[in-house]
Amino acid sequence: MKAEVVSSHKGGMWSWLFQRITAVLLIVCLAIHLIFTHILSIGELGYDNVGERLAHASLTAVDIILLAAALYHALNGLRMVLMDYWFTSRKRAIALTSVLWVVGIALMIYGTWALWPWIS
Amino acid sequence: MSKKPRELANVGAGLWKATGMWAWLLFRISGLLLVFYLGAHIIVISTAAWGSDGGTFDSIMKLFEQPIFVLLDLALVVAVLYHALNGVRIILMDLGVGIDRHKVVFWSAMAVVVICFAIFAWVAFTYIITGEGVAS
Repeated sequence: MKAEVVSSHKGGMWSWLFQRITAVLLIVCLAIHLIFTHILSIGELGYDNVGERLAHASLTAVDIILLAAALYHALNGLRMVLMDYWFTSRKRAIALTSVLWVVGIALMIYGTWALWPWIS
Repeated sequence: MSKKPRELANVGAGLWKATGMWAWLLFRISGLLLVFYLGAHIIVISTAAWGSDGGTFDSIMKLFEQPIFVLLDLALVVAVLYHALNGVRIILMDLGVGIDRHKVVFWSAMAVVVICFAIFAWVAFTYIITGEGVAS
């Protein structure tokens, strides 16, 4: 019975560690993201204003790090939840992990593409 | 077994009783909500890169300035703050910090949630009522 259950504690040492590393990155980058977007410039959220803010390289860097950390953290978290209920066998868990990596990389490329007009 | 070692054992095994169970359940629910939100956020914000004049993006931003969406933003803030601060608590437990006072750590984290929420609520309601940002 024990071998059948892949609990969240058995998601792997590296994913456990990266979940914590991205958590710390998220707290720092999300705080910057929210303060700049919603406290310093609330009510001025238009194409031109956002472009002006993103034109600062350091804030764009924060957004790129935020995108990568959030995607990893979100999809790995989702993987942990799904592995607790449905993807309990090793075979299914590997299939799930592969699909989530593809989704994550696709969203990272798409998100970076969307930020690109302001970067270049 | 006396009370203290048993509580320590529960934390070590991940079998937190009562408060910990709710902390775990809410952590999971808020996490799933945030996964969903992240996907929606990437799609919505990426509309800025559709076309060349940002017309789609601006019309969506206009919609999101409505009070109902600002209130939904506040609900999102609750999910983010709870998930973040409970996450900090979990990292502290992993590092062995405050394990023997884990309930105090949990409620301290929740106090930070309330304080941060108050700041965002002030910003949101200032915007709903006056249409101005707190910094403008």
